[in-house]
Parts: sequence; C-alpha cells; structure tokens
Amino acid sequence: MSQSNTCGSATRSWTTRRDAKQKRLQKVKGLADGCIIPTEKCVEALEKLISPGDRVVLEGDNQKQASFLSTSLTQVDPNKINMLHMIMSSISRPEHLSIFEQGIAEKIDFSYAGPQSLRIAQMIEDGTLKMGGIHTYLELFGRLFVDLIPNVALVAADKADTEGNLYTGPNTEETPAIVEATAFRDGIVIVQVNELVDDLPRIDIPGSWVDFVIEADKPYQLEALFTRDPRHITEIQILMAMMAIRGVYEKHHVQSLNHGIGFNTAAIELLLPTYGESLGLKGDICKHWTLNPHPTLIPAIESGWIDSVHCFGGEVGMEKYVAARPDVFFTGRDGSLRSNRAMSQVAGQYAVDLFIGSTLQMDSNGNSSTVTSGRLSGFGGAPNMGHDPRGRRHSTPAWLDMITEDDPLARGKKLVVQMVETYQAGNVPVFVESLDAIKVGKEAELSTAPVMIYGDDVTHIITEEGVAYLYKAQSLEERRQAIAAVAGVTPIGLKSSPKQTETLRRKGLVALPQDLSIRRTDAKRSLLAAKSVEDLVDWSGGLYNPPAKFRSW
Amino acid sequence: MSTIDEGVRSMSTAFLFPGQGSQQPNMLHNLPDHTAVKETLEEACDLLSEDVLLMDTEERLQSTITVQMSLLIAGVAAVRALKAEGVTPDLVAGHSIGAFGAAVCAGVMDFKEALSIVKLRGELMERAFPSGYGMGVVLGLNESRLASIIEKYSSLEDPVYLANINSPDQIVISGAISGIEKVLKSVHSNGARKAKILDVSVPSHCKLLKSVSEELSARLRGVNSKQPAVPYAGNRNARPLRDKTEIIKDLTLSISHPVRWHDATSVLYELGARLFIEMPSGHVLSDLAKSAFPYARTFALSEGSITSAVILYDREKGTNG
Repeated sequence: MSQSNTCGSATRSWTTRRDAKQKRLQKVKGLADGCIIPTEKCVEALEKLISPGDRVVLEGDNQKQASFLSTSLTQVDPNKINMLHMIMSSISRPEHLSIFEQGIAEKIDFSYAGPQSLRIAQMIEDGTLKMGGIHTYLELFGRLFVDLIPNVALVAADKADTEGNLYTGPNTEETPAIVEATAFRDGIVIVQVNELVDDLPRIDIPGSWVDFVIEADKPYQLEALFTRDPRHITEIQILMAMMAIRGVYEKHHVQSLNHGIGFNTAAIELLLPTYGESLGLKGDICKHWTLNPHPTLIPAIESGWIDSVHCFGGEVGMEKYVAARPDVFFTGRDGSLRSNRAMSQVAGQYAVDLFIGSTLQMDSNGNSSTVTSGRLSGFGGAPNMGHDPRGRRHSTPAWLDMITEDDPLARGKKLVVQMVETYQAGNVPVFVESLDAIKVGKEAELSTAPVMIYGDDVTHIITEEGVAYLYKAQSLEERRQAIAAVAGVTPIGLKSSPKQTETLRRKGLVALPQDLSIRRTDAKRSLLAAKSVEDLVDWSGGLYNPPAKFRSW
Repeated sequence: MSTIDEGVRSMSTAFLFPGQGSQQPNMLHNLPDHTAVKETLEEACDLLSEDVLLMDTEERLQSTITVQMSLLIAGVAAVRALKAEGVTPDLVAGHSIGAFGAAVCAGVMDFKEALSIVKLRGELMERAFPSGYGMGVVLGLNESRLASIIEKYSSLEDPVYLANINSPDQIVISGAISGIEKVLKSVHSNGARKAKILDVSVPSHCKLLKSVSEELSARLRGVNSKQPAVPYAGNRNARPLRDKTEIIKDLTLSISHPVRWHDATSVLYELGARLFIEMPSGHVLSDLAKSAFPYARTFALSEGSITSAVILYDREKGTNG
C-alpha cells in the first residue's frame, strides 16, 4: 500500500453523511416523541430537518400526493430553507411550483407535469426555476440511486404505528422506491399519514427505514385518474379496438400487455368479453397485465379472460373489488391490493409482449409527442413501456413474431402500438409534418426535443383507416408510406395514393378493416360489455364503488 | 383504507371580468337587486356627473367609451354585492377592458381611479383609428397555423395581427379590414370552421395601438396603486401577477399586445381554481372556461342570482375540507 493511501484513510472520515444526519436528528429532539412529530410542529420540524441546497424528493405520484407535507413546505421560512433541488415524479399540485416562486426551491427533476404544464413552462422561461431533466418514471427512480440520491424524502402513507412501520395499502405506488433510496444512504425519511394506529393491517415499509411520522390534518390527496366512463366511448374507437384485437392481439398471440389511459384502450378492454369471445380468443390473448385496476377491465376479469394483473397504483373505488379477486390481483395478508410503480414499470418494460397507447401528434416517421405549444407536460411511464428493451433475452410468441429476417442472430421485439384517430377534436390533425415538441424543446432550452415515443420503436399504428405494420417495413421510405396509408386526410395522409395503399396491402404492411374481416358497420356501442359506469358496478356485483363524479344515477 | 375522491384538492374561486362584446342593452338595469349594486351605481353617477342608468341603451352602447365604462361599472357593482354576501375570489382575471375590473377587485386601484382611466382608454382608442380598421374571429384553427396564414397575407399597408387567443381554436385577429378579409378568406381552405369580421372599429390588442399604451402609461403611472390581495392573471403574458407594478404594466400594455386569455385562465386552473364566476354581462368567459376545464364549475352572474353564486361558492369551499 502506498504512503498516500495510508495517509488518506488515517485522516478521512467515512461517516460524514451519517454524522450529518445525526446532527439534524438532534435538532428535533425536543419536537418529536420517538418517531412521531405532532401535526402542528410540522413546519418547524421541516425547517430543522431540511438544509439549504438539499435534494428533496417530494412524493407527488401519478395519483397519491403527499399534500400535507407539500403544503407545509410552502410555509417554511425561505431565509432558512432555500435553493432546494426538488425531485418529483409528478408535479401536480399548485404548491409544487409555488415553492419555486417563494424562493424555497430552485431546481427540478421530474417525470410528469401535466396538471401544471403551463406554469412550469412559464417558470422556465422566466428563470424562476432551473430545469434538471425530464424522465420516464423508471429513469427517475434509477437516478435516485445514482446521481440524485435524496437528502430528504417527504412521502405519504395511509397508516403508521408508533414504531414508524407504514401501511401504504392499495396506493403503495412509488413510496418504497423513494424511501429505499433515501433511508439507506443516510437521508431523512419523513412520512405524513392519514392516521396513527396501534395495529397495522400489514406492513408495507418497515419502521427502520423511516425517521419521522406526522399525522396529517386531512387525508392525502388521491385522484381517480384511470377511470374511463364507457358512456364516452365512440363507435370509431370501437372500430379501432376491433382492429387492435384482430389485427394485432390475435395475429401475434399477444399474451401479456400494458394499456394506456385512453378511451381507445378502454374500448378494447370492454370488447374482450363480447367481440373477443365471438372470435374464440379467450385463453389465447390478454392473459397477463401490468395495469392499474381499470374499472373497464372488470367485465373481462369477470368473464375469465384475465390470469393476472400487477398494478402501478390503485384506483379510487376499486378497493373492495380488487380485494375480492386475489387470484387476479397482487394482495397482502390483509386482503388489500399491493401496488408498486417501480416494479410494475420494470414489468411493463421488460416482461410484456405489448404496449398500446395514444398520442396527440405523430410525424411522418412515426415519432410521437403529447406536448402542445407553450406547455411542458413530461411523459410519465409511456416512453418506458413504449420502447423495445434491447436487453431482453426471453422469448414469447409475440416477441418472436416481430422477426422479419433470416439472420441466425435475429432477435424479437416488443410490440409498441400507437392507436390514434387521424384528427383530434377541433379539426386538429394528429399526423403532422413536424412535431410541436421541437419548438417546445427549443423554447424550454431542453437538450433534446420532448418526444414521447420514437418512431423506430413503434411496430404498429392503428387508426380509423386501418392498421400499419411498421415492423415489416424494409426501408424508411416504406415505413413512411405505410404511415401515410393510414393517416386519413391529414397533411401526411394526403401523400398516399390508392395505388400505393394497394401495394402495401398486398405486401401485408397495411390492413384495412375488410382485410381483417371487420365491417365498419359492425362497430356499434352495443358491442361494449359495459356501456356505463353503472354497468361496471353491476358486473362487479356491487363491489366497485365509483367516485361521485362518475355517478350519474 | 383511503377512499378520498376529489375532496382534498385546494379548491379556489376565480372571478372573471368580460371585455367588449359582452355588453348588452340594459346591462346596468339588469344587475342584481342588491344594496351594494345600488350604491355603486350612485357612486358612478357622482363620479361621472351623469346618470349612468341612461348609458346602457343600445344606441349609446355603440360607443366604445360607453361600453368600456358600463362593463367596469357592472363588474365592480357585482363584485361588491358578492363580497357583501361572503363570496370572495382567490384569483382574478379580466379580458381586455375587464382587466380593470379585476384590478379593482384585487384592490390594486380604487373604483374612482379605474373609471377615469377606462374613460380615457376608450377615448384614446376611439381616436386612434377612425376607419378602415377592425377585428375578425377565426374558429377551428390553432395559433401556430393561423399565425402562418397571417404571415402570408399581412403587409405594411394591410397589417394583420393575432389579438385574442381565447381558446386553442378560437382566435381573434386585428388590423386593417382589407388585410383581415384576405386572411378570413383563406382560413376556410385551411380547415377553419368559421371566420367572420366583428362589428368593432378599433384594431385592439396589436401594435397599431402602441400610442394608446404610451398615453395610458403616463396616466397609470400616477395611480395610487396598492399590492393585490389575490393573484391577478395578466392579459399580455398570462402570468399570475402578485405585484402592483406588474399589474399596472399589464393594464398599460394589454391594449397593444395580444390577450392570451386561454393561458391566463389555464394558469388560474393550475393554481387551483375550480369555480369560475363571470361578472356581468353575458356568459362568454364562463362558456370558454367550461369547454377548457370540464372538471371545473362555471357560473355567469348574468344568468343566475347572487344567491346561486353563494350556494356554489359555499359548496366549493365545503369540499376544501
């Protein structure tokens, strides 16, 4: 061993992080009773436990929000607590950005900012906020263990006991990922809970990972984001859903999959027990899902289509139904759902045959984006699941079916399907020459344009015109032709000619409804297994309890 | 187990103040029957040394000066009545001239001062462009597509500008009538649903009115302004403004810049507004809010009573927990 090394280890402390944490813990000695901080001392505790410049993960999930802690954070003194580097998977609540206006925080790394997409764009433009990066969920969780290791985590749980053990139940979501990254590298974990109890239904996060628990003044905010009322499903969406089932799921034997949040995919879910059944596909397709407990999945579950569903998060109103179907869902000993966003994203990335989603814009090469001018909404989980993970080594029939060459080293591909109507509401074309994302990226000075799903990952496009089998395209030109053939009368679609479409149909690059034995006139709402939220409640035998805003009766 | 619905969000109430186009004959006569309204009308009569109840005839509302003053009086009267009944806004915004009502509502300036400035604003606008200029509206095209069409047809002699972005596909343009007509003619073949010239003789909200901004600026600088009690969403840059200087600047520059109304109300929504109450008269702004924010409640005071506003407001606050 060299002289300098010996010297180094003699003088260097290897416990600076641990020591720093102990110092902070000392500061709240008088405030806390064990791990419990009284509700009214929350702001004071935050001022003592957080230091200027800290990296703070604030749990704003897709659905669950640590709303008491985020509100408390806006009340700290900006002279004491400032320059915070915030890490939030979802920027949802007004105060998530107000802390930047107040001078408490200065930098942000995030995944999704849909509910605050205008303010965040304005604040970047005004220099009120320093932009870190926009991530897909898994990417952000990954960085929590590499170069965004948190100093403090502010998270939410349903219940805690006096030892700090947590019950997060159906809405576990990303709490374990955040807490793990913080707790095991001497960060401070502060949890708001809806209630303190003596006995927990089950332990989702052990107390030894948790530093402090605060009973919130009111329960954390939780949104029903994945509920789609079947009443709003149109016949065009039903037509596209029929093409998805015949032209993609059946054709490639898709057994495991993730669905997006839209009405298009809700239509597929509701056609399985009717149209899917009539094709004799039960047991062949759609057996394993990585998906939130979508209420529109109830009829397919009840008719025996579904083997398993792993969930990113919960869904308001589905608690009792899920608890009554433990053969299908992941549930704890207490009977309630256990969700886990990080694990479900891993599953959705590596372990499923197919991802199907929708978009607001797509260019001639199949690149897609949901950003609109002046808004910066981020992506959430779509790019994570909507790409081909090239490290995949296990095979399934659908994955192998994407091989189009004789190469002995050829590998399969995940099916990434985009399902869009050629025009959005208000006569706005979905297929465009150039994505708004390019302009938005420049305006926000991002290093890359905020593309949601890259064209070279997309294997299929389904529109009301037909299906484009992009994975079969031998060249970029052929790929563009196939996209144009299903792009209707949009600027991109007008580049196609009937003759070209004929050729593409012959080669199997494009299928029109009639090529799939689908008559446009058959796409009727009567095909939906449930036509209203009320029907879904009936299918569930009364176990599904929809939130008030979805009740029409 | 947690089964909370939308209950825990920070629900806020926003007051919206309409601009020109929302005036209606008898609009001051039709204001809610409330002491605060009567007092405001009397105050306006004293300040202007004329009977304001003679102002809201169809004939007199042909003048932009009368229209602007009537809208301000109606807005302030309504706010005072609502506040007297305990309905107070968390956020405010006004469309064009409506911004002055919003500024009074937020406490940035008093009614007296606002009335004299609005009168001046009307006079300056009326004088600015006597003929050959105006505005048009296009439905069904987004901002970037319309902007590229305008770029094609606008010229030095016949300038055309974007004036109000009211919704992603409802945009008002401003400028020389001949230029506007060219633009309107070509938007149909580019996918617009509807396009027409508006019955307005002033090309508002574009640089043609720069001189009006400059003259207003001198007057507004002399205003004894106070810090706003609640955030005010700006016309020009759609930012939530919390500083009186910024708000005065917005009131000054708005007339020579496009009104980014859709963005201004989107900012209010992102800040938590879930109940939008539109001051009299008309329901243009509540209709826009209703289509932009399906999960929010909207209410036009012209179409309901103070009592219904109180009920909606209490309900909204009730869900706040």
